[in-house]
Amino acid sequence: MGEDTVNSFKLDVLKELANIGTGNAVTSLAKLLDGEKITMEVPDAKLVPLQDIPESLGGAELPVAGVFIESTGDIQLTILFVIPLESALKIISVLLPAARGDFDALEQSALLEVGNILTSSYLTALSLMTDLLLLPSPPAIAIDMSGAIISTVMAEARVQDDELVLLQTTLNSRRKRIIGYILIIPDRGALGTIFARLGIR
Amino acid sequence: MKGMVVSRVKIADWAVLKGRGVLTTIGLGSCVGVVLYDYRSRVGGLAHILLHDSRDFPNKSKPFNPAKYADTAIPLLVREIENIGGNKERLRAKIAGGSQLFKNQKVRESVGEKNLRLVRQVLEEHGIPIIGEDVGGNYGRTLHFYVDTGKTIVSTVGRGEKEI
Repeated sequence: MGEDTVNSFKLDVLKELANIGTGNAVTSLAKLLDGEKITMEVPDAKLVPLQDIPESLGGAELPVAGVFIESTGDIQLTILFVIPLESALKIISVLLPAARGDFDALEQSALLEVGNILTSSYLTALSLMTDLLLLPSPPAIAIDMSGAIISTVMAEARVQDDELVLLQTTLNSRRKRIIGYILIIPDRGALGTIFARLGIR
Repeated sequence: MKGMVVSRVKIADWAVLKGRGVLTTIGLGSCVGVVLYDYRSRVGGLAHILLHDSRDFPNKSKPFNPAKYADTAIPLLVREIENIGGNKERLRAKIAGGSQLFKNQKVRESVGEKNLRLVRQVLEEHGIPIIGEDVGGNYGRTLHFYVDTGKTIVSTVGRGEKEI
């Protein structure tokens, strides 16, 4: 990680930021899904070898929907919301009761909106805590094998490090069994800026 | 597949093999999978390239991973194939990937297109002809390369598979 070494204390701080961000996102998602009870696991913040990230979400060949957002402004963040297709179909059936489940343009735009709302609530929390300006790009969606989606996002983010800080949260809904993952990849400079804002050296 | 070596090539990774065995890489999106193959000595290699040109990235990780960039991965693969008995003059290439998965990326040249451009350019510089390819589009690919025959199969989610 060059000069910005990330120790376990810093990873804990990131975990806490992710916790609050995800808490916000979960509330928004529950509202969207007719008050469905959503639980989240304690977010994980870890240093992961680039090569292992595509495997980290249930296998590189798992068919998923991925919503991808880049945030610019004071810091650069890459955000990916990943939903296995089975879960994506359940979300679609709540939002669009007459949907056929073939991932047509309307169904994709519903998923895109879910990703957008989740990410925006996450970023709002992060921005309030750090007093940093975060400007999310319009979201983009792809439906494919998770390995292809994750590696494409890393290429889009022009990832130069071979080890990345990955903030990962798993969302779960008991009744409908919906699973989703939020991945946040801060770029090298972003971490330094966040820690400086929080007065951590 | 019985008795065969199956070697998995991860993202920004490479492998070479001689004789009976399969080199596989899963989830090529904008990345490009490059197969190099010497048909006579039945030696081959596979690289899963993430980014186009290492010279465009001033803050590269140390130690440097040459398999990550097109301009450094291909020479590395050529060298390693020669090390296990392949001949550069006989090498042929097959490539797959370089797609654009996310629809609203309105840029002049997508990451996938950049990767493909560099891969083609570097292969040409090394005098290695491309004899098979399945590239572009908006979907991901998985590649299986059977080293002893050179047979290369590309599979997708919902679009079946084909030999290149």
